[in-house]
This record gives sequence, C-alpha cells and structure tokens, in this order.
Amino acid sequence: MAPRAHLALRRPEWSRGEHPVVNVPFIEISSVRKSFPARGGGAVSVLSGIDLAIAENEFVSLVGRSGCGKTTLLNIIAGLEAASGGSVAIAGRPVTGPGQGQGVVFQQHALFPWLAAVDNVGFGFRNAGLSKRQRRARSMELLRLVGLQAAATKYPRELSGGMQQRVSIARALALDPQILLMDEPFGALDELTRIELQQELLRIWQARRKTVVFVTHSINEALILSDRIVLLAANPGRIKRIFEVGMERPRSRTAPSFNALYEDIWNELSS
Amino acid sequence: MNALARRLRDSDLAVGAVGAFGLVAIWEIAARTGLVDPQLFPSPLLAIEMAAARLTAETVGENLAWSLFRVFSGFGLGASAGAVIGIAAGWYRTFGMIARPLIELLRPIPPLAWIPLAIIWFGLGEPSKFFIIFLGAFFPVVTSAYHGMRSIDPMLLRAGQTMGLGGVPLLFRVAVPAAAPDLATGVRIGWGLSFGVLVAAELVAADRGLGYMIINERNTGGSVGVIIVGILLIGLLNLVTDAAIGAATKRWIGRWHGT
Ligand SMILES: Nc1ncnc2c1ncn2[C@@H]1O[C@H](COP(=O)(O)OP(=O)(O)OP(=O)(O)O)[C@@H](O)[C@H]1O
Ligand SMILES: [Mg+2]
Repeated sequence: MAPRAHLALRRPEWSRGEHPVVNVPFIEISSVRKSFPARGGGAVSVLSGIDLAIAENEFVSLVGRSGCGKTTLLNIIAGLEAASGGSVAIAGRPVTGPGQGQGVVFQQHALFPWLAAVDNVGFGFRNAGLSKRQRRARSMELLRLVGLQAAATKYPRELSGGMQQRVSIARALALDPQILLMDEPFGALDELTRIELQQELLRIWQARRKTVVFVTHSINEALILSDRIVLLAANPGRIKRIFEVGMERPRSRTAPSFNALYEDIWNELSS
Repeated sequence: MNALARRLRDSDLAVGAVGAFGLVAIWEIAARTGLVDPQLFPSPLLAIEMAAARLTAETVGENLAWSLFRVFSGFGLGASAGAVIGIAAGWYRTFGMIARPLIELLRPIPPLAWIPLAIIWFGLGEPSKFFIIFLGAFFPVVTSAYHGMRSIDPMLLRAGQTMGLGGVPLLFRVAVPAAAPDLATGVRIGWGLSFGVLVAAELVAADRGLGYMIINERNTGGSVGVIIVGILLIGLLNLVTDAAIGAATKRWIGRWHGT
C-alpha cells in the first residue's frame, strides 16, 4: 500500500533500518488513559499515555506483568470500554463501540452456556444471510480447524478449559473480522496443542490478511508469532519498550537471534 | 444384592415411595385397631368409601376442573407479567428504577391479605380469585427474573456485542437465555404459591373448586372422608404439576446448566 502523506506516521525509532513495517496506521492509539474509580473515592490510573500505531496486517503482541493493563487496553480497542482520555481509531474512524471489525477472544472464554459448541461458533452468523445448513457447515469447518469436530454438540460445561478456549477462538474467527484481539488465547492449552494452534493462527493471519493484537505471558509465543512485541510496565500501565522481531517465518526456537531477543525482552521485563 | 434391588435402594423416588406407603399403612392399621377415632380420622380406604358414598366422580371432576382452570389462567398471566416486567426492569435502567421500589413495597404482602380488597373490587366471582392467584405467581417470578437479569455475567454481554448485537437482539439472544435458570426457579416457586393461594381463596369465597368442595362438606356437616380425600387430591395435584414443571425445566436448561 502506498503511504499517504496525511496518514503517514513519523516512523518510530525501532523501525528505522531494515524493517519498515509501519507507514499507514490502521489502528491508531493516541494518548489513551484509563482510570477506574477507587474504593473510598478517587481513581486508580490503570493506563497512562498509551501511544501505539499498528499497521494493517501487522501482528503485535502485548506482554507485561499481570495487572499491567493488557486486558484493559484490548477492551478499549474492542470498543467495549471507553478510554478516560485519548482516542483509538481504526482506519481513521474513531472507535465508538464494538462491531467496527474487531473480533475478540476473551481471557475468560465467555462462551454462551446455553449453546452447544457448534452453535456458539455459529452465533454471529445469524445476521450474515446464510441458511441454517450453511451456518452449520461453516461452524463445523471452524471446529475442525481447532481440532474439536468431535465435541460439536457438547455444551461449554461439558468441555475442558482448553477445549472451551478453542471454541472461543473458532467463534472469533467465524465472522472473519479484519482485526483479531486475542487475550491469552492459548493460555490454558497443553504445549502440543498450543504449538499447533500457533501455526494455525499464523496461517490464517497470512492467508486472510488480518491485523492481530495478541496478549500473552509467554515471551516464546510472542517471539514465534509477532512482528512487534510491546512491553508494558505497570502502575500505571504504560509502554516500556517496543521490540521489533525481524526474523523470517517460520521461526526457529533455537536460532541464536531468537535467543538473543528472548534474553533482551526477559531482561527488560524483569528489570 | 441383585441389580434391581440396588437400583431401587439408590433411587430417591423409590425411597420416597416406600416412605409414603409405610405412612399410609401405619395410618390404616392405627384406624383399624381403634388407636385413633375412625369418625375423626378414618382409615384411607374408609375415607375413600365415605367420599364415594357422598360424591359422584363427576362432581369431583367438575370441582377439580374449576380449580385447574383458575390456577392455570391466573398463574399463566401472573407468571408472564412477572417475567416481562422483571426482565424489563433488569434491562432498562430507568424502568427498573421506577418499577423496583413499587414491587419491593407490595411483595411482602401475602397474597391472601388481598382477599378482602379483591372481593370489594371484583366481587365474589371469578375475577377476585383470578387476581389473588395472579399475585401468587407474579411476585416470585418478577423477583427472580429481575435478579436473573442483574446477575448476568457481563462477559457474555460483551461477547454478544463483539458479534454485532445490541439493543433488543442482545436482550433476546443473550440476556434472556442467560437469566433463564433464575427465571425457571421463580416459575416453580410461583406455581407452588399460586396453587396454595388458589385453595385458600376457594375456602374463603367460592361456589365450586376443590377448596370449596372441602369447606362446603365441613359447613354442611358432611363426612370427614370427603375432606380427607379432597385434601389428598389437592396434594397429589400439586405434586404432579410441580414434577411436570421440574421435568420441563430440566429438559429446557438441565443439560447446559447442570441442574
Ligand atoms: N473494572 C475495573 N475496576 C477497577 N479496577 C480494574 C477494573 N478492571 C481492571 N482493573 C484494574 O486494572 C489493572 C489492569 O487490569 P487488566 O485486567 O487490564 O490487567 P492484565 O494486564 O490483563 O492482567 P492479567 O495478565 O492478569 O490478565 C488491574 O490492577 C486491575 O485491578
Ligand atoms: Mg488480562
């Protein structure tokens, strides 16, 4: 895409050099603040001065200690929570609510307990003008993608935590959103399933040209998946440092550059 | 122990049946051996005999039909109104702010306390009983529906919103199903209360129905047998209908809710 002058972002420091990824901000987060009312009056500041521009088709991970505001930031991008200050825009349009192309995988799976797995996945199809059979076929296809076709008729309470998590990933993919906001989507999975789904997510991301904002506690996972890794610091939540992952995909977990970057992020995180 | 015996032992229903049967047997024996006065407390078999001598099946059937008609219509409307108002009060903030204090004010009044007013307002005919039964169903249902709506997991509403729902579709496709288990509990409690209120209202002011049948027998100096059979019939009817509601609830939400 040709950079448009009025939208072109002053290229940030990290991207000078070999990997000019960002030139048109697709998701533009400007000076976002968030505070919650504190018990006994006053307010606690949870996010302060978040500035982040995410390009179309970019894969960005958010890492940081528990409680630093990752979910809150994701909710603001999703339009589910209003920022206390600053703004978020998607493709130049200010985010005023959900449904502007954001699909969300929640940290708590938030499946509808009264619907079987396949109907949870197909929930959003209702307004998409598909017949019941087409909806079911598409839902089954997505369940197969996350390895759960055998559990299609099970209800959420009959599924394990990891299975529920996979259903909610399938549900978010169902509407084929432009933007995928994923909050620790692979947190409850065994190592093997996790790696399989990482590969699957990368495949979908590349094939369907999605923009992904991905929250994880695993530096490893962030390194395997992302173009950039945004490290947040807590109290109040702010961007501490942004790492560019310049490696070709598929990435090797044992490559020296992989380990060097791991080391960097680890040091920054724990300092 | 063989499998059948084990299954019987393990089944709640079987235990209950054995208990009930035992109680009836003790009662029968007590009455026959003269331990209790059969004129006041006839044995079950004797009570049925006495009732059969005084009433035709048709009379009993007619009274039963009236009672059922009243409770179904009064409960049906009371529960529907309760569900609609409870759900609306839980969903629409302003409406809830207006409706809730009113409901809380009226809710503690036992439905039977309305009988004198109901008679003044509606006379002795059907509408006054209908009104009392309506109240019996309305308050438990409206309260539980409201409570159910207020305790919906906000994550579910958010999930619905991210899938493009808002307003009325969000209400019907997410909020109402999420509140359904609480609503079902209210419906069941409301049914029991409606039923109790029905019989009480028929005892006080009616010229037909099961409640009327037993109080009339007492007032005209008839037989204790009719009264006992009438009471048992009321109990049995409530038992069967309550079990039916329980089974319907289980079918409706049992698998996903785990009750
Ligand atoms: N609704 C709320 N009211 C008050 N405080 C809140 C609210 N939601 C979040 N917080 C606070 O904001 C901070 C950030 O929460 P958030 O859920 O965004 O953290 P997180 O980075 O996602 O953590 P984790 O990695 O554990 O999921 C926490 O200190 C939390 O207590
Ligand atoms: Mg979180």
